[in-house]
Parts: sequence; structure tokens; C-alpha cells
Amino acid sequence: MEVNLCRQFTKALLILLALVIIIPIFFGFLGFFLPSFGYFPAIGRYDFDLSYFNSSFDLPGISKSFKLSVFTGLFSTILALFFSQVILLKLFQTNIYNYIRLIIAPLLALPHITMAVGLIFLFSPSGLIFRLISPWLTGFDRPPNLFIIPDEYGIFLILGLLLKETPFFLLLSMSALEQLPARKVFNVGRTLQHSSFSNWFLLIFPLIYKKIRLVIFIVIAFAASVIDMSLLLAPSTPSTLAIRIFQIFQTSEVNSIFIASNLALVQFCIIIALILLWIFLEKIIKQNFFYIFLIKILTRKKSLFVDSLFIIAMVLFLLSMMGVASSFLWSISENWHFPNFFPSSFSLNNILIFLYQHQSTVLTSVCISILVSFLSIILILIWVELTETINFKILYFEWVLFVPLFIPQISFLIGLQSFLVTLNFQSFLLALIVVELLYVLPYCFIILAPALREIKKEFIKVGSSLGKNRFERLVFIKIPLVSSSLLTSFGIGMIVSLSLYAPVYFIGAGRINTLTVEAVNLALSGSRQDLGLATVFQVIIPILILLIIAYLNKKLTKWRF
Amino acid sequence: MIMIKPNKYVCLFIAISFIFIFPSYSKANKENWNNILKEASGQTVYFHAWGGAKNINSYINWAAETVKKTYNITVKHVKVSDTSNVVSRILSEKNAKKNNNGAVDLVWINGENFSSMKKNNLLLNENWIIQLPNSKFLDFKNNPSLLNDFGVSTGGMEMPWGVSQLNFYYDSKYIKAPPKSALKLKKYILTNKGRFTFPQPPDFVGTSFLKQILIELIADKNVLKLKYDQSHHEKMLKPLFDWLDEVTPHLWRNGKNYPSNYLALTELVADREIDIGMAFNIAHASNAISEGKLSNTVKSYIHKGGTLANVHFLSIPYNSSNITSAKVFINFLISPEAQIKKQNKNFWGDPSVLSSRKLTPEWKEKFLNLPRGSATLSNEELDLKLEEPHPSWVKVIEDKWIKKYGSNN
Repeated sequence: MEVNLCRQFTKALLILLALVIIIPIFFGFLGFFLPSFGYFPAIGRYDFDLSYFNSSFDLPGISKSFKLSVFTGLFSTILALFFSQVILLKLFQTNIYNYIRLIIAPLLALPHITMAVGLIFLFSPSGLIFRLISPWLTGFDRPPNLFIIPDEYGIFLILGLLLKETPFFLLLSMSALEQLPARKVFNVGRTLQHSSFSNWFLLIFPLIYKKIRLVIFIVIAFAASVIDMSLLLAPSTPSTLAIRIFQIFQTSEVNSIFIASNLALVQFCIIIALILLWIFLEKIIKQNFFYIFLIKILTRKKSLFVDSLFIIAMVLFLLSMMGVASSFLWSISENWHFPNFFPSSFSLNNILIFLYQHQSTVLTSVCISILVSFLSIILILIWVELTETINFKILYFEWVLFVPLFIPQISFLIGLQSFLVTLNFQSFLLALIVVELLYVLPYCFIILAPALREIKKEFIKVGSSLGKNRFERLVFIKIPLVSSSLLTSFGIGMIVSLSLYAPVYFIGAGRINTLTVEAVNLALSGSRQDLGLATVFQVIIPILILLIIAYLNKKLTKWRF
Repeated sequence: MIMIKPNKYVCLFIAISFIFIFPSYSKANKENWNNILKEASGQTVYFHAWGGAKNINSYINWAAETVKKTYNITVKHVKVSDTSNVVSRILSEKNAKKNNNGAVDLVWINGENFSSMKKNNLLLNENWIIQLPNSKFLDFKNNPSLLNDFGVSTGGMEMPWGVSQLNFYYDSKYIKAPPKSALKLKKYILTNKGRFTFPQPPDFVGTSFLKQILIELIADKNVLKLKYDQSHHEKMLKPLFDWLDEVTPHLWRNGKNYPSNYLALTELVADREIDIGMAFNIAHASNAISEGKLSNTVKSYIHKGGTLANVHFLSIPYNSSNITSAKVFINFLISPEAQIKKQNKNFWGDPSVLSSRKLTPEWKEKFLNLPRGSATLSNEELDLKLEEPHPSWVKVIEDKWIKKYGSNN
């Protein structure tokens, strides 16, 4: 009887915990869904019709914005997935494989905006690449009038997304690979006279794919609605859908909130459509005739093809590194005009002034990220404990955690802000932390939850036989056992939090400022020195976090044995 | 009868204003002010101000530190990228009936944003500017631009903070004679393909540039003082859009992409991607030179027929959480001490709004001795000032520009 009561209680607690996540999502969704039909009781509007769809579709150039978002979202995801597999295939059976994680860690840690800034420093007509070849090769004594960065079709936006998503897919594929008998499969393929390329794409990739499918959907949703990167890399006449929503939401007219909400709904539908399209493509590829066709193309030895792709991937990797390096150079430069490849003078003054002016911003960014990450870890620990207690098969239920990643950020945030204003909500910080939690929790969960669940039952049994209660078992046995995953999860949580732009912009309402928001402002106002500096901090802080975690990990391991 | 009523109020208003502005009548006021100071101590003011320029941000930072020391008021600069966001924020608060404790305590504003706030009753609706002791240094009587914002009467709901005038700059090392009129500029753009651009409207400076061209080309300038009326005025915009039709394909990046604001132009001029930059701050080019961003051969100029000039203001929203401390901060910002620092080219370079006739001889002397930047025009050179069109024209010009050039590429 008592056991049953306890079970009921735990179940209730679990549902309560889920509600912490579901409630903001629900209100965020309602917050843009209802106004998109003209219904917004808080400001005395009770209409419910489709007229705002007309207003949305009548906006000048809106169809181009739709196309841009769809095009960049879809292609960046496909290309990133493709490149990640080519890299893996090339390095799979080499020694370098063991170091991939180390090499891509800093790339993963960089905020999207940093990558965008790096590309601008490199590719703009007055950027490093043109400086390198001017004037001796090109004859340019001044930057050419070229329409690149941003470009007309969003190619650079795709490139920027590609540079960020490829390492992400690489990491996930590697984790998936480690759970598979990959070497065996590979050798079977070899005996079947497959080339390594076809071997990979026909035998191993489908296995990896199954494991990372959910994440692919998340990446599509993100790429098709990204804001900060679009602000810098997407064309502006007109821009992507996310930016259009952003701009309309900010204009000071009464109806703009309805049109912005309506477009937010449209964007949500576009993302669902994109995912459906992806599933449809999956179906086609699975067809027999297509498979046979693929085998026919791929089985021929085309190492040249793979090699060139691999070289492209390496060039991309170098590019992202160079972009970051040039930010460092800009941050200490003075008088660095085209076509000089190096600044004519250096000065540390900029750094000092920047630090002085932005110390509180840096501090806020770091404190919020620590707080959010800490809360995420606690929630995950409780969640996993509770699910274990009642042995509840609710793993299907856990997808709820990932829902915030599928709703386009801007749609969700517009909706949520409408609600916060209506509720006369005062604490910007509390609201921001809750919202950041929604975005940070899933990433921490992916790393920490499996580790917790893989702990061998024997350890726990020993613990219980020693008379330790549940809480003691968690603190003294489980947490030390997963300390490395826990720390990694904590670090990734901080890094995700540090790189968030839209949540801080919308929910922080200007009262709470973080480095990423500051970096976007600086990028738009074009001061390259300051932008370089903001970027340097955005690079240094995550890398410091990673280093501290690596150090702690080592320390803890020593202490345990 | 109905006609007389408002007139009565206007007379009363003017009479009261004079009484307050008149310096000798200040005893009751002084006591009042001391109470305000007492009340304001310990409060926090959220100052929403455009935060794109480093020198302006440092100036605000300095002012915040000073009022913290002298009045124990904490000023938090909320860096805004476009002031219309602030208007939309207050508007949504009003819609949601959040009539006090608003997020915005004080806002840096002028023009269209002011008129939109005034129209929607989003401002502290009292003639508070005369309550501030330092308003005695401003000459409201002889300088009507201090009480009119783009032709709309301020009603004492915003305090003048600084003066700006559209000005252009170029590198005299490469360009001997810059184009000093809309027509010459057109010729320049057509012969120097890809070397001119302006910030993308609805950016403030970008839109102002379009207004400047319109004023130069429109047949009857007086029309611009009236409220825009589509049936009468649409055809008046034709010269502007004909001009744009001709030049747009020859702009930087073929008119398919624009810098996001005037600061981005500085970098483009520095790298010689473009030839001519523009700004509203008359010391902008000088500042950029002293920061090492522009070469010291850069010079400023304005168009022969003059350029747009306006005053920028500080205003308090109706639902501000800290009205008293906002007033104390504003009072500090218009003090001779704060204004001289603002006008100093090493800090901001934004001209003072104080009248030299109302200053003490010592302050007058100090203002006179301020050094001027190497690329800053003299007062005589800046003499030709054009009046801002009625704010209702702004939205029309912006929308039309966005429709024609901002969304079709």
C-alpha cells in the first residue's frame, strides 16, 4: 500500500517536472498561434479570421524570404551531413580518428556568430583573402565592388552553417559508430568488392543515420530559422524569413505584432513541411530501384572523388580556423587598411577599454550560463532518478525535452514575450533563465542521461546492501561514477547558454546583455576592432571552460583511484 | 466658443512657461527640486539609448558614473539598436495595461519616434522640462527648434540634448572636389560605379539621406511641412524615386545590399570600398580619425543648399518606473559640465544645446576654447540648415523605398 502511494507520488513529481518544460512551450506556442489570427485579448482584440495571412503574403519580397530560408536550411543540413560522413570515412581507419574529438571540440564550442564573423573577415571584398592577392595579382588597389558576404543566394549563410553543423554531425556520428560493429561491417563490405565510399554509404551510414535522425531534424529546424547568423551573412534586400519576422516585430505599429505572429506560424509550418520533405526523401532513397542505382554509381572506384571532397572539407576546416585567427589580429590592430595584409600598428589599448566597458557583460554571460547549466544538471539527475524509481517506461515521453529545439526560436520567443508582457512579468532574469533552460537542457540530457542509465546495477546493489539510501547512493556512488559525463554535460550546457542570441535579445529586453548580443551589435555597426575583441572573448571563454573541464576530469580520476 | 478654448490653454501655457523660465522666480522651485533630489536618491534609471557608437556609450557611461557619485542614482544604459523597438515595447505595455513600472524609464529620441509616442500618448504628459533648474541655460524663446521636433511641438515633453546635422566626408587624398548637391552626386555615382551607398532604410541616417535628396529635388519645399496626404502628395515623391531609379544600379554592390547603419560606412570609407560617408554627428569623421579608423586626410562637407538639421531629445515614458530620478539625470545631462564634455571632440563632439548668452562668462569662455576636430566643419560652414519634413513623410518614403529597392533582389 505504502509502496504504491510512493509510486503515485513519484509519478506526480515526474509529471510536475515535465510541466516545467511543457508549460512555457505551450504558452510560447499559443502566444504566436492566437495572435496570428488576430486574437489577443490582452489588448482588446477578439477577432479570429485569416486576414493576417493576407497581410503576411502581401509583404514585399516575402516569397524570396521563404525561398531563402528553405534553401539555406535544407542545403546546409544535407551538405553538413555529407561532409561529416566523408571525413569520417577518410579518417575511420587511421590514427587521426582518436584525435578528431580533440580537434573539433573548439569548433563545436564556438558560437555561430563567431563563425560568421570569421567568414566576413576572410571573404568580404576588403577581407584577408582579397588582401592576400591584391594588388600584385588582381591589380586592385581598392576593394572590388563585389556582391559577396552577404551574397544574393545565401551561399555564405550556407557555408557558415556548414562550418558549424559539420563538426556537430561528426561528433554524433562518432558516438553512434562506437555502438556499432563498424569495423566488421566495413570488412564484410570489402570482401564484397565495395569501394570504401560505397561501403560506407551503403552499409555503415544507414546504421549511423538511424541513431542521429532526430538530431538531423533539429538541425534542419535550426538552420531554416537561424537569426544571428542570418543578420550577418544573409542578403538584406530582402532577408530570410526569420529576419523579416524579427524586423516586423520591432516596428512600432499596432498591427505589427499580429503580422509577426502570423509569419511566425508560417515559419513553423515551413519547418514541419521541410521535415516531412526529408522523410519523403528518406522513403525514396529506401526504394529498391534507387538503391540499385546508387550501388551502380558508387561501386566504381572513385577515390579521386572522395579525396577531393575530403580536401574540400579540410579547406573548410582551415577556413574556420583562419577566420577565428583573423579576429585575434583585428582585436589588437590599428590602422589596418586595404590592401595591407598585416595591420600597420598594434595596440593593447582596445582590449583594455573593451574589458573595462564590458566587464559586467562578460560576468553576466558567465554567471547565467553557470546557473542555467547547474539547474539543467540538477533537473536531469532528478528526472533520471524518478524514472528509475518507478521503472516507468516513459522514454517516449522524453521527446518532450527536445520540442523547444523544433520550434523556430523566433516564433517561440515572440509568443512567449507576448505572454510575459500580458502577465506584467517583472523579473527579466528569472524569465531568461527559464527560457535558456529549455534550450540548454536537451543538450545536457543527451550527454548525461545515457551515462547515468548505463551504470551497472551491481554498484547500486552494493550501495544498498551497505545501508545507503537513495540520496546517498546518488551522491556517493552514481555521481562519482559519471563525473566525467557530468562535467562534460555541464560544460556543453554553459557553451550552449553562452552562444544563445535570440532568447537573450527577446526575453532579456535589453536589460540583460550578454557577449553574443553585444557581438551582433558590434558586427552590425562595423567596428572591426571591437568585433574582433568580442569574438576573441567568445572564443576564449568556451575554450577555457573546456580546458577547466578536462583538467577537473583528470583530477577527479586521480582522486578516485 | 470651441475655437477659443484651446487658445486659452495655449496662452496659459506660454504664461506659465515664461514664469518658470524666468530665472528670478525660482525659490519655490528650488525647494521643490530639493525634494525631487531627495526622492531620487537610491533609484535606478533604465536609460534606453541607441548603443551603436563606442564614443557615445563611453560618454553615457561617464555621465552615469557622475550621477552615481553626486546624486546616488544608478543609471543603466540599455543599448538599443533602433529606437522604434523602444516605442513598440512601450506601446505593447500600454496595450497590456501596464501603466506603471514600465521597462523604460528614459529614452533618447526624436522625429518620427517622438511623434508616434506623442500620438499614442506614451509620454509623461506634463510640461516637465521647465521644472529642471538647468533648463535656464536653454534659450527656448529665441530658438524654436528646441520646442519643435520635426515640426511637431514637443509640449515640454522632451528635453533637448544635442544638435545634429547631416554631413558627408571623403578622403581628400583621392577626391579633389566632392559632389555638393543631389544632381552632382548623381553624376558622381554614375561615373564612379559601386563607390557610393547609404545605410539601408529604415535606418535613421539612411532615411534621412532620402529626405535630403527629396528636399533638394522637390519643386515646392513648403509642402513638406504639411502632413502627408496621398492624393495630393504622392506625385511630389516622383523626383526622388526617379533619382533613385537612375543611381541604384550603380551603387555599392549594385544596390542589392546596403550597410546596416552609418558606422558601417566608416569602415567602408576607410578601406576605400566607397568614396563618401555620411553621419548626423558633425564630429563623426574627426572622431574616426582620432580613433585611427580613418586617415587624417579625410574632410567633411555639406551640400551647397544646406543639409537636414535637427535636435535630439531626452524623454520620459508615461509608465516610467522612476520619473524623479530620470528628471535628475536629464538635469545633469543639460548642465554646462555635461554639455561641454559632450561637445568635446575627444568624447563625443555633439554640439551643445545651451545658449551662450545664458551661460556665465567662465563657462562661455570654456565653450569658446574647445578645440574643433580637423575634419569638423565650422559653425559658419554649417550655417545652411534644412528643416526636417513633417514626420508623416518618413513612413511613406521608407515603405516606398523598401517596396522598390529593399525587397526585390
